[in-house]
Amino acid sequence: MQIESTRFGSIEIRDDAVITFPDGLIGLPGTRWALLAQSESAAFYWLHSVDDPAIALPVTNPWLFFSDYEVSVPDEDAGLLNLVSADQADIFCVVRASDRIEEFTINLRGPLVVHAGDRRGRQVINERDYDVRQPLFAHVTLADIRPSQPAAPVAATGI
Amino acid sequence: MLVITRRPGERICLGEDITITVLEVSGSTVRIGIDAPSEVPIYRHEIWLAVKAENEAAANADVTQLPAPAPSSTPS
Repeated sequence: MQIESTRFGSIEIRDDAVITFPDGLIGLPGTRWALLAQSESAAFYWLHSVDDPAIALPVTNPWLFFSDYEVSVPDEDAGLLNLVSADQADIFCVVRASDRIEEFTINLRGPLVVHAGDRRGRQVINERDYDVRQPLFAHVTLADIRPSQPAAPVAATGI
Repeated sequence: MLVITRRPGERICLGEDITITVLEVSGSTVRIGIDAPSEVPIYRHEIWLAVKAENEAAANADVTQLPAPAPSSTPS
């Protein structure tokens, strides 16, 4: 499938990597999203709307930056996603990017939880009391980041 | 806005499926119980607003290139 991204131009994405958020992301339109990245082992991805070519959010694997991060998914959300165990979930967090890397922040309170099997996701409110605007490089520098595997299936690379 | 006065133990129905119960009033704090179908998302409003604001700000960031770590060198 093709996305005519206003930010990146025309992008061919893998249909089988599209993630469906049936209730959307909080405050944003559309239900179908795709992860785009420079490479499979990038530190950051774009979560690009399939439904609206103008919307894309930077996301990352929070554990690259906060190794002791914990997500407690409310029972209702886990039920809606048919999540039985934590290893069924792909989890990533929204990043507020900036020209200055020291101003990057991450939303640890509202992680995106995706069932790895059927690629249906929800933005949940973490029951642990984290900040929505946590400075991303509080504990690590970019050089410390060692991305190994994608947070979830990547729909297109080379972005 | 519809304003309704309720006492502890009294309820409000939103349609047929959602019931809100005032459980306890203590000083400036009210404990509320909500019975709703599991597919109805329920949020504390201030957290919902904060997450919405972060999503919108993230989507509006004037950035096309995200930082990448220097090509590694195999991690030790």
